[in-house]
Amino acid sequence: MLKLDNINVSFNKGTVDEAILFDNFNFEVSKGEFVSIVGSNGSGKTTTLNLICGTVTPDSGAVIFGGKDITKLSEHKRARFIGRVFQDPKLGTCSNLTVLENFALADNKNKPYGLTVAISKKRLDYYRQLLSDCNMGLEDRLNVQIGALSGGQRQAIALVIAGMTKVDMLILDEHTAALDPKSSETIMQLTDKQIKENDLTAIMVTHNLRYAVEYGSRLIMMDKGKIILDKSGEEKKNTKTQDILHIFNEISIECGN
Amino acid sequence: MFSLFSSVEVFLETGLVFSLIAMGYYVSYYILDFPDLTVEGTFVSGAVVFGIMVSKGINPWLALIVSFLAGCVFGTVTGLLKVKLKIRSLLCGILVSTALISVNLVVVSGGMSGDFSGQSNSSISYGRVVNTLHDAFFGDIIPSRVNNIPLRNPLIFLIVAVACKILLDMYLKTKSGLILRASGDNGQYVKMLGVDPGKSTVIGLAIGNGYSAVAGALYTHISGNVNQSMGIGMIVIGLASLIIGTSLFKRVRFLKPTTKVIFGAVIYQACLTVAQKLGVPSAYNKIIMALIFTLALIFSGKVKLKGVSTKC
Repeated sequence: MLKLDNINVSFNKGTVDEAILFDNFNFEVSKGEFVSIVGSNGSGKTTTLNLICGTVTPDSGAVIFGGKDITKLSEHKRARFIGRVFQDPKLGTCSNLTVLENFALADNKNKPYGLTVAISKKRLDYYRQLLSDCNMGLEDRLNVQIGALSGGQRQAIALVIAGMTKVDMLILDEHTAALDPKSSETIMQLTDKQIKENDLTAIMVTHNLRYAVEYGSRLIMMDKGKIILDKSGEEKKNTKTQDILHIFNEISIECGN
Repeated sequence: MFSLFSSVEVFLETGLVFSLIAMGYYVSYYILDFPDLTVEGTFVSGAVVFGIMVSKGINPWLALIVSFLAGCVFGTVTGLLKVKLKIRSLLCGILVSTALISVNLVVVSGGMSGDFSGQSNSSISYGRVVNTLHDAFFGDIIPSRVNNIPLRNPLIFLIVAVACKILLDMYLKTKSGLILRASGDNGQYVKMLGVDPGKSTVIGLAIGNGYSAVAGALYTHISGNVNQSMGIGMIVIGLASLIIGTSLFKRVRFLKPTTKVIFGAVIYQACLTVAQKLGVPSAYNKIIMALIFTLALIFSGKVKLKGVSTKC
């Protein structure tokens, strides 16, 4: 479904600080997979997501999605079929707008944003239903400004919004990293539920090795722009957090941190 | 005190005129966080368009609408410079307002007979029919004077300002308007919805400059002439009105921001009038403007505008 084909990415090109991150990087995801990516800082996890979402354009190579070359497609056009939840809960919602206004905007995704009234009273029950599914006591807070909500609540809403319209792929960029352990657990369960219910293909970058092992159907570890571990199916099911931690420590020691 | 009362009509008039610039800034600066310098140019453009059309005998209300559209076009240019060419916001405004100086001069000399040598001080006076806007629409409904205070211009300007306010409020409730508000707040979110936030920037600047052009048209309706330097200071007036309005009435929940902005503009002009009545020579006008603006910034408690509720 998704294919990164011979990708080359370097930063500060043409200067003394030039750093090559990806050198002929290849990565493939099939439909229905839930891929967890782990790896140390600077290993290329987030850049991989940025390549998929269009925030970073490769120096050479192609991004193929559903058989189509989307390498040159702009970020907002890709957003029509790729949903994304960020680490920062502030990025996935609009703080100055109310919960209701945020939902109304997301509800209209992939339709023209014209001169008709944005908020439809008919959809209120649907929005309340979405909120009560989060189990965060949000159902009566439709008219509250998002900025007044907690990080966990915002992230839950961001997740709901990212999955509200039919997307083909969900990108989760360390989306539990900024939350306290309990909220983070809740969000992770919500994520899993959403992916299963909507039969989504998902890629999740995480620093929580336990999540990477517990959730998802495939586990990938990256280091210095290369995939050093790729487990799926039965092999993934039999993987324990300890095993991953062991390998993780090894690469971290090599890096000196 | 009495002399102040007799000038109520003056600051009401100018306050309502400048409230339009402030409303424009509400969209471009407050919502989109775009410090738009184009307004000084579009203010004059609006005046030029209005002046020429009225002096050619065209219905002044139609002239007002055409002024608005002209402002929209120039605002769009600024927006496109920003969005397509990725030029810095401040520079986009400087570029377009500089270019507009020539455009305004050429249009003035092309539209009017007479000597226009292209000097920056060349101005036009059109055969001023007092109450042009009033006569074209209301017949004789509004009495020209009550207690020796002329009412027509303030009332008509009030109608225009309120109409513009209502239209803006309505727009901000539409899907396009909501996307505009979201773009100023979180461009990434708008991208995630599959929309280019740059589109909102262009629309917002078109509205902001359209309103500025209408303000210019109304201003020239008071004075009956167009002066190439009449746009100077409009940025400060617009921003000061916006900030005075939104910070003075910050706690007043039931007022919409657009209403607060109109109050802010009138209050600002009232302050200036008071200063003049106290005997400050008119040469000090602009420095007083800047001073009042600074005071407004200090008393608003925060110079930073972002983060204040933009709930409509």
